[in-house]
Amino acid sequence: MKKIIISAILLFSMKFLHAATAATQLEGSFKVGPAIILISILLLFILVGIIFRAKDTTDFYAAGRGISRVGSGMAIASNWMSAASFLGMAALMYGSGYHGLAFVVGWTGGYVLLLILMAGQIRKYGKYTAADFIGDRYYSKSLLAVGAIIAILISITYCVGQFAGIGLMFKWVLGIDYVWAVVIGSAVVLAYTLISGMLGVTKNMQIQYVIIIISFIIPLFILLYKFDYFWVLPQIGYGSVVSDIVSGVPLADSQGLVNSMGHAFAIVPSPEYAMPWDISTGSTFFQWIAIVFSLMIGTAGLPHVIQRFYVVPKARDARWSVVWGLFFICILYWSAPVYSAIGKILSAHPEVGMLNKDAIVVYTAQLGNIHPLIVGLLAAGGVSAAFSTVSGLLVAGASAFSNDLYVRVLRPNSSPKRQLLMARVGTVVMAIIVGFLALQNWALIGQLVAVAFSLAGVTIFPLFLLGIWWSGSNRAGAAAGVIAGMLVALTSITYFVAAKEGVALPYADFFAYWLGPWYFAWIGAPLAILANIIVSKLTKPTPLEIRKFLIEQVHS
Amino acid sequence: METKKDEYHISFFKPTTAPARANRNLALMLVIIWAVAVFGFQILLRVLEKPTPEPTLTEFESVWANVENGNASVEEMQTFAQSTLTVLSKVFLKADDRAVLDNAFTWAVFKIANDETREELAKAVSTFEEKSAEITDITNTEYIVMRDNLSVLAGSVIGLVPGDIRMSILPLELKTEYENGYSDENKTQTPAVMTKYLTHNQSVLTDTKFLGFPFHYFYTAVFLLIFFVGLCWLYCVRTDAIHKRLSVNDNM
Repeated sequence: MKKIIISAILLFSMKFLHAATAATQLEGSFKVGPAIILISILLLFILVGIIFRAKDTTDFYAAGRGISRVGSGMAIASNWMSAASFLGMAALMYGSGYHGLAFVVGWTGGYVLLLILMAGQIRKYGKYTAADFIGDRYYSKSLLAVGAIIAILISITYCVGQFAGIGLMFKWVLGIDYVWAVVIGSAVVLAYTLISGMLGVTKNMQIQYVIIIISFIIPLFILLYKFDYFWVLPQIGYGSVVSDIVSGVPLADSQGLVNSMGHAFAIVPSPEYAMPWDISTGSTFFQWIAIVFSLMIGTAGLPHVIQRFYVVPKARDARWSVVWGLFFICILYWSAPVYSAIGKILSAHPEVGMLNKDAIVVYTAQLGNIHPLIVGLLAAGGVSAAFSTVSGLLVAGASAFSNDLYVRVLRPNSSPKRQLLMARVGTVVMAIIVGFLALQNWALIGQLVAVAFSLAGVTIFPLFLLGIWWSGSNRAGAAAGVIAGMLVALTSITYFVAAKEGVALPYADFFAYWLGPWYFAWIGAPLAILANIIVSKLTKPTPLEIRKFLIEQVHS
Repeated sequence: METKKDEYHISFFKPTTAPARANRNLALMLVIIWAVAVFGFQILLRVLEKPTPEPTLTEFESVWANVENGNASVEEMQTFAQSTLTVLSKVFLKADDRAVLDNAFTWAVFKIANDETREELAKAVSTFEEKSAEITDITNTEYIVMRDNLSVLAGSVIGLVPGDIRMSILPLELKTEYENGYSDENKTQTPAVMTKYLTHNQSVLTDTKFLGFPFHYFYTAVFLLIFFVGLCWLYCVRTDAIHKRLSVNDNM
C-alpha cells in the first residue's frame, strides 16, 4: 500500500513539475504549477485555522494571550507584510529609484515611534480595538462610532491595494484579463475570510510569515548567484548591482549572461536609479520627507497594527514583540530593493516592453530564468501576503461595524446571532466596495496603501498620542482634532480622485503637490494635534476618573 | 502627583509619576536620535548635493548650437545622435520625452546618411516597423535578422562600434514618421529633456562606495533599518531596567 502511495505521489510530482515547467511565460497563459502551489497554500491556511480554531470571541481577539514574544513578533510581521510590502515596494523603487526608499524607511521607522510612544501604554490601557480605546478614553459614544467608521475607512483603503495585488497575481497565474482577475480574486479572498475569519488567526499568521519570507528570499539567492554577484547575503550583495546600474554594465562585461528573452545583462549608465530625488523621476526632496513622515505616523496609528498589542500577555511582552516584529519585517524590507535593482537591468532592453511595475517581483524572477516552480511559489507568496492582510482587515472592519458600531451604538440589545449576521454582511459589503475601487486602477499598490497610512496618521495617531500622553486632551478636543484631520484627508482625496477622473478643480496642481494622497499627513497630523490641544484648553477638562486611570494604570 | 495643581494630571512635557518621567526622558532621547538619523542624513544629503552632468550632456551641449542652426559637421551630428540614443537607452524615460528624442535621433541618422544609404535605411526602418507590429514573439527569426541588419546599418552611420550596448536598442528608436523632419516644438524641447535625464544630484555621500553600495543608498536602504531594530532593542532593555528599578508592575 505504502509503495502504491509513494508511486502515486512521485507520478503526480513528475506531472506537476512538467506542467509547471511548460507553463511559465511573462504573461498570457494559465500556469498549472503556480496555480497548484497557490491553492495548496490557501488550503494549508484553512487547515491550520481549523486545527487552532478560536474557542470564543475573547480568544479570537486576544489569541489566548499565551503566545511567545517571538511568535507574536512573527504575527505582527505577517499581519503587516501585505501586497504593498511583497509586491508594491519593489515596484516603487523600480519605478522611481531612490524615491521608493522613502516607503521602506517610512514603513519601518514608524515602529520605533509606535514602540517608544505607545505600545506598552496601549497594552496597559487594556482595550481590544482602536475604537474601544477612543470611546473609553474620550468618554464618548459618538467618538466610539467615529473611531469605528475611521477604522472601517482605513480598512477599505488599505484593502484596495491588496485586492489590486491579488488581481495582478491571479491575472498572472490564470492568464486572464485584470478585471476578471480582480473579480475572481475578490470572490476567493471573501470566501477565504468568511471560512477562516474566526479560525486560529495568530497561529496562521506565524505560518504565513514563514511562507511569505521563504518564497520571497529563495529567488534572490538564485538571481544573485546566476548573475555573478555576492549571493551568500543578497541583502548586501545587491549593493554592487546598484553601483553597476549607476556606472553601467557594458556588453563586454556581461560575459554571456542573458535574461529569459535573450537580452544581455547590460545597461547604459543610469545614475537616476540611485541618486536622490532625481529630476527624471519627477520626485522632490519635500515629497521624500513628507512620505517618510506620513508613513511613520500612519504606522503608529493603524488600527490593525495597534490591535496586535492587545494579544500579548504582558506590557513587557508587547514591547519586546515590537522588536521581534520589526526585525522580521526588516528581513523582507532589506530584500525588496534587490528585486527592483536586478529587475531594472534584466528589463533594461526596450524589447522587454512596458512591464506592470506592481508585478516586477515576479517578472524579475521570470526574466532571470528561475525555475517556474520557484516563480510560482513567489507568486503564491505574494497572494498569501495579500490574503493574510486582507482577511485580518476585513475581519477588523467587520467587527468595527458589528461590534463597535452596531452593537455598542445602534442596537445594544441585539442577539449574538444578529451580531454574527451583521459581521458577515459587513465583510461582504466591504469586499464589494474594495473590489470596485481596485478595478479603478488609480495608482500603484504601495501608493494606494500609503493613503490608508495618511488617513490613520491624521485621525487615529493624534487621538492615541494625546490620549496616552496628555490627560488634558478631552472629548471636545478629540472631536476637533478628528474634524481637522478629516478635512485635510477629504481635500486631498477629493483632488486625487477628481484628477484621476479628469475633473478639473481649482488649484489642482498646488493640492496635488502639497497635499498628495500618500503624504497629506505631513500637515494633517500636526493640524489635528493643534486643534485637539487648543479646543481641549478652551473646554471642560477631562473627567477625574479618566485622569486617575491614566496615572494609576497606564503610567505607573 | 507631586503638587496639588498636578494632581491626576499627566503630560509628556510634565510627567507627574516617576515611571512616566523616566519613560519620557528615554523616549525623548531616542526620538531625537531617531529623527536626526532619519531626517538629518537626508537634509545633509540635500545640503551637500550638486547637480552633476553626465559626460554625455557635456558632449551634447558642445554640438547642440551647430545642430540647432544647421551648421553641424558629420562628426558633430554623430555626437548628437549618439547622445540622444544614450538617453533613449535609459531606465527611466517618460513617453513624451521619448517622442521628442525619437524625433531628434531619427532625423539625425537620416541627415547624416548619404543618399544611397538613406534610401536603404528608409526601406529597412519601414519593413522593420511592419514586422514589429506583426509579430507576437520577439524570438521570430525574421524579426531578429531585420533588427540586427538595421542595427549594423544605422550604427555605422552614427559611428557606433560593435559591442556598444546602444547598438541593440537603436533599431527600436528609429521611426518612419520622423525621417524627414525635426519639428520646431521637439527641437525646442530637446535641450531641456537632455538636461533632465543627464543631470543628477551627486555629492561625496553618493560617490563614496560602501560594501559595493553608493554610501547614501546603503545608509537609507540597509543601515537605517538595522538602526531602527537597534533603537527598539535599546528602548526595551532600558525600559526593563527602569521598571525594575522603580518596581513597575509589567505583568498586566
